[in-house]
Amino acid sequence: MSCSVVDAKAYFLGELEKRDQAQVENHLGACAECREELERLGVMRTALATLPDEEVPRRIAFVSDKVFEPRWWQTIWRSGPAMGFASAALLTAAILVHGATRPPVTIIKEKQVASVDPAAINKHIDEEVAKRVDVVVAQQKQQTAQMLEASERRYEQRRQKDLADFQQAMRYQNQQMNHWMVASNDQPVPRGAQ
Amino acid sequence: MIFREVEDRDLIAKARHGQVEAYNVLITRWEKRVFNYLYRLVGQREDALDLSQDVFLKAYQNLKKLEDPAKFAGWLFRIAHNEAYSLLRKNRPEGEITGELKTSEASGRLYPVELNLTVARALEKLSPDQREAVLLKVYQGFKFEEMAEILGCPVSTIKSRLYTALDLLKQTLAPIDVEEA
Repeated sequence: MSCSVVDAKAYFLGELEKRDQAQVENHLGACAECREELERLGVMRTALATLPDEEVPRRIAFVSDKVFEPRWWQTIWRSGPAMGFASAALLTAAILVHGATRPPVTIIKEKQVASVDPAAINKHIDEEVAKRVDVVVAQQKQQTAQMLEASERRYEQRRQKDLADFQQAMRYQNQQMNHWMVASNDQPVPRGAQ
Repeated sequence: MIFREVEDRDLIAKARHGQVEAYNVLITRWEKRVFNYLYRLVGQREDALDLSQDVFLKAYQNLKKLEDPAKFAGWLFRIAHNEAYSLLRKNRPEGEITGELKTSEASGRLYPVELNLTVARALEKLSPDQREAVLLKVYQGFKFEEMAEILGCPVSTIKSRLYTALDLLKQTLAPIDVEEA
């Protein structure tokens, strides 16, 4: 047994505040009875620690039973954050769909209408039309010139070819005529004619 | 240790939403402690195993009632305590639950096997209340306040049971040398 001045068992079990621990430690220096008490408690704890932990004979585990498992919507319904997130997502989707399907609202300001000059617009339109027409006319002129040039080129090529053919035919004809003339000169003169 | 606590909290949160696998992981962390606590309390391996299964089943069924996941250990051992005492009351009449105290019978130097037997016998000689106080404090490391919550009684009662148990265990496991005395 320990003396009644301090709670040696609470000190031994680590249940004292630091201030009380210091008080017990000071007391231990002067009290042999409490020192012996702590020594015996230490021996006892060492003995208790030798008792080995038993292994669990069979593992404990549970299997999932689909019948009793919560449905997906029950899981979401029971989850506060998930429910909040789903609500926010639905609200966002609704706003987006509404914005996409509703026709846009045109707001015409009087100040903007007043500042528009019809003459300037007509002038601008005329200029733009004239500019576009000039561009188209220039493109057409260029295309026409290219077509004419190509046609003339083809005509010239054909003419050159026809001329070459004609010249070749003439040469051939001359050659034939020469052959005939030579052949007629080489024929013997009949005796009666001499 | 903090990381482990966070992980337990996470597993508890998942188990609360019906994830059985998360709860099985939680069981693997605690089953050995719970089983040994029950085994040393009731003394029968099969009983301790059956009780352990009941404890984890009840814990799963009532997991939503656990207000603070950080107090899971104390809450789990409270269920284990209730299950163990239900069995003890069933096996023995009410008046016999409190054990009788006997004087020390071990002394001198002991070999490891003998020491184990001596420690086991010393624990068996304690009353269930005293033994449970020793199991929760010495083997499971709970604080007085946590023990009071587990056992459902005041800290003063816990201290009384534990101090008496320690004095009895000292007589068996750390006897005063007669020659020195």
